[in-house]
Amino acid sequence: MKILVAVKQVAALDEDFAFRDDGRDVDADFLIRDLNEWDDFSLEEAVKIKETAAEGGAASSVEVIAVSVGPEEVDESLRKCLAKGADRAIRVWDAAIEGSDPIAIARVVAAVARREAPDMLFAGVQSSDQSFAATGIATAAFLDWPHAAVVSQLNYTPGAQRALFRRELEGGLLHEIEIQCPAVLTVQLGINTPRYASLRSIKQAAAKPIEILSLANIGLNAADVGESGSASRVRRMYIPDKARAELIDGDVAAQAQRLAAIIREFKGAGTGGGAA
Amino acid sequence: MARTDAVTRILFEAFSAAEVRLFYALGYAAVAVFCYGVYVQIRKYRRGAALHLEGRLRTRLRDMLGTVLSHRTLDRRDPAAGGAHRLIFYGFALLFLGTATITLEYDILEPLFGIRFWHGEFYLWFSLVLDVAGVAMIGGLAYMMYRRGWLRLPKLDYARPDRVPSDPDFDRPQYRREDWAFLWILVTIGCTGYLLEATRLVWLQGRPDVWNVRWWSPVGAALAEGLRALGLTARGGAVFRHGLWWFHGLLALAFIALIPFTKVKHMFTSLGSVLVRDPLAAQRLPGIPESQAQPGVAKITDFNWKQLLNLDACTKCGRCHEACPARAVGAPLSPRDVILSLREFARATLESGTVPDAAELDVHGKSPGQVSQETLWSCRTCMACVEICPVAVEHVPIIVQMRRKLVEDGAMDPLLTKTLQTIHKTGNSFGESKRKRAGWTKALPFPIKDARKEPVDVLWFVGDYASFDPRNQKVTQTFAALLQEAGVDFGILYDAESNAGNDVRRVGEEGLYELLANANVAAMASASFKTIVTTDPHSYNTIRNEYPDFGGKYQIQHYTSFVKQLLADGRLRVTAPLEYRTTFHDPCHLGRFNKGYEAPRDVLKSLGCELVEMGRSRANSFCCGAGGGRIWIPDPVGSEKPAQNRIKEAAAIPGLEVYVVSCPKDLTMFEDALKTTGNEGRFVVKELIELIREAIPARRPEEVSA
Repeated sequence: MKILVAVKQVAALDEDFAFRDDGRDVDADFLIRDLNEWDDFSLEEAVKIKETAAEGGAASSVEVIAVSVGPEEVDESLRKCLAKGADRAIRVWDAAIEGSDPIAIARVVAAVARREAPDMLFAGVQSSDQSFAATGIATAAFLDWPHAAVVSQLNYTPGAQRALFRRELEGGLLHEIEIQCPAVLTVQLGINTPRYASLRSIKQAAAKPIEILSLANIGLNAADVGESGSASRVRRMYIPDKARAELIDGDVAAQAQRLAAIIREFKGAGTGGGAA
Repeated sequence: MARTDAVTRILFEAFSAAEVRLFYALGYAAVAVFCYGVYVQIRKYRRGAALHLEGRLRTRLRDMLGTVLSHRTLDRRDPAAGGAHRLIFYGFALLFLGTATITLEYDILEPLFGIRFWHGEFYLWFSLVLDVAGVAMIGGLAYMMYRRGWLRLPKLDYARPDRVPSDPDFDRPQYRREDWAFLWILVTIGCTGYLLEATRLVWLQGRPDVWNVRWWSPVGAALAEGLRALGLTARGGAVFRHGLWWFHGLLALAFIALIPFTKVKHMFTSLGSVLVRDPLAAQRLPGIPESQAQPGVAKITDFNWKQLLNLDACTKCGRCHEACPARAVGAPLSPRDVILSLREFARATLESGTVPDAAELDVHGKSPGQVSQETLWSCRTCMACVEICPVAVEHVPIIVQMRRKLVEDGAMDPLLTKTLQTIHKTGNSFGESKRKRAGWTKALPFPIKDARKEPVDVLWFVGDYASFDPRNQKVTQTFAALLQEAGVDFGILYDAESNAGNDVRRVGEEGLYELLANANVAAMASASFKTIVTTDPHSYNTIRNEYPDFGGKYQIQHYTSFVKQLLADGRLRVTAPLEYRTTFHDPCHLGRFNKGYEAPRDVLKSLGCELVEMGRSRANSFCCGAGGGRIWIPDPVGSEKPAQNRIKEAAAIPGLEVYVVSCPKDLTMFEDALKTTGNEGRFVVKELIELIREAIPARRPEEVSA
């Protein structure tokens, strides 16, 4: 019995930041890294299923495997997953993966899923930094598994043929769905209360294994990932021009005068337009 | 004066040989039961975890004797009880020693070596001393009975704030029964002793070696005269004496046999507890040894033997119950009941021949004997309980050890979880970027040295609240200006400084504390300085008392003593004396934790302020409610907060103008409480630093930023 949980190490902006020279992302020096918030919930859901099964005296134990795609620094987030109850972790990396879009990442995750053959695959609804909300569902497409997005309550007994879950819809409606397993579910915030990983448990998790896989290990090659394996490409990242607002004080005449000045300013200096 | 050998204690006179043998048999039986009881108790303590005690035994013994003989700790905040206990203690001790001396002669020295000393003048003096001792003991006991029966002291009310009346262990009537049984048995032993003495005198009134020296036992003699006046004859006296002898003797033997099984054992456990006292119990919490598989305390056997001994040392005097700020505002915590609960638990599980399964040793929960997480999280680790305990019970480490288990399980308020994660990620509790830590310096008209880049005399450890909280930043900027004007060569660690970790450790997140302490020790190692100054008592405590365990040994001062020195040296001069009527709130971590009571008061007075003390001040200062991580846990809606309770106390001072604090967290807590108690406009809450600024106006005001 296995549950595979796909997790991502996301980046948050530090107080001041600068863009990378190519203008397509923030300079890595200015990013604070952490486990994606949604993944806290999907991992917790898997660990809870494992613990419930163990308490209920299930015949076979459940193994929770955290998988992530990224460079060495991602190990820190994987260790957090191990501290919270994942049994082992897998990290896939190859220089060629740099520049992959969510579809290419999904191809990698799907390859790991084929190798591990889990009974269930969880992912977060989306990542807090890029917000594509695509990786989980695209993985299901590669695997040709049933899938559902934005799961807010789950009832799943390890090894069962079907899982029952709920989704929240607009207007306060709930969707109750039965799904064939194995399936890919993307998990919404609030489905559970993620546990606290104490620093001590994170340290101790260093003893649990993180398996490092290359593309060759999972039967992919460089063309399947990176920009060549992606269907989309980030052109640039930028801060939009700020809109301006000004409250004009004073009596009516003063207000009119200021308004006129602003209009002149917007029409552009030097065009010499007539009186407003 | 009779100097004949015939003058001696009448012991077994007129007893048959069989009676004497019976008495000895009962005596040995009582001692055997006592010894078995002692064995059971020691076995219980030995079932706790190991602990290596620091400090020399001789010093420990000297301190223990000093404490016990002076009754110093029993007098505090309850001199009447202390005085009465002193009478009982010395009375009982003399009577016990006196009686033991009889055994020494009658059963050991005389039969073995033919040595006798229990006669003549020696006997007479002893007789007098023991008679007086008996009066002292009975007098003390009588006061204790009056106290329990009539004074209705809240601290002697066994109703628990962490239980409801329908719970089986709500107010524990068995404790009251035991209290009264203890008092009555001792009083009865004392009174029958006098009656026995009196009837013996009446019986032997014909013997001059007895009757002529009767006034050496004044109480017995007076009673004897009374009995004679009532018509008791020598013959009648003999009968009564015989009966009373057995009654008194059996009661005394029963008392001895019961010592290890009842509250009477505090005679030994309290001594032991005082002997193994850790003077820094709350100030310097223990780390988690590498060898320990699980952090903190989950099972009763995870407590060390000293803590198990602490549980038995408690005499239910209620001083901690009275001092606890959480209990005072109705939180489900009384330090007394944490100790008593665990004591019951240890008694139920660890006194039998075999220790039950691990599952039955879990001390966390709501069953009788267990401690709930609501109780544990109510603690402010303000140390009021540890400080006042007359028998050196160390509640705070016990509570923190239990919290460590809760933290490991994630059993805590979601906001606290969030804060710990934030501190892990950013190194501060505000979730701000490290780069922003020294953001407050930007508003200053002068640069502050980076102690990592150039050597300074004074390293200023700023701390989280002083760095990030907008209201406290103003105080921080003011302090920087004062240091600058006093010509102090100082610097800060900028983004290398992290939360000092004092409160993180007291929450029970030891791993995170280690991370923070190591980071700060490393940062300070990269700087060159002579001493550290901080405005934050929490940082002050952990750097002073706990960083040495992490290799960081520094000279550190709280700003109050540092400023006092600057004033004394004339580097700061009061030019605009203040005439405010003020009161001063002792921060727990400056006052109780580190005995910094005088410096802030001295500074306040040298500024010209009038200082009116609140009822609860210095060692008895009342916590603002922020300690032990409680600043990160919301207080229950609708209940009084400790800070509000405190502000109401201050508001009772007529004409109070300024409530002075010297701790960033205090400023936040009390400014809030001032508003929520409706006292805004009546007086103000100010940091001492702000008053210093007011009394020492900047020489070039335009250069000092607001």
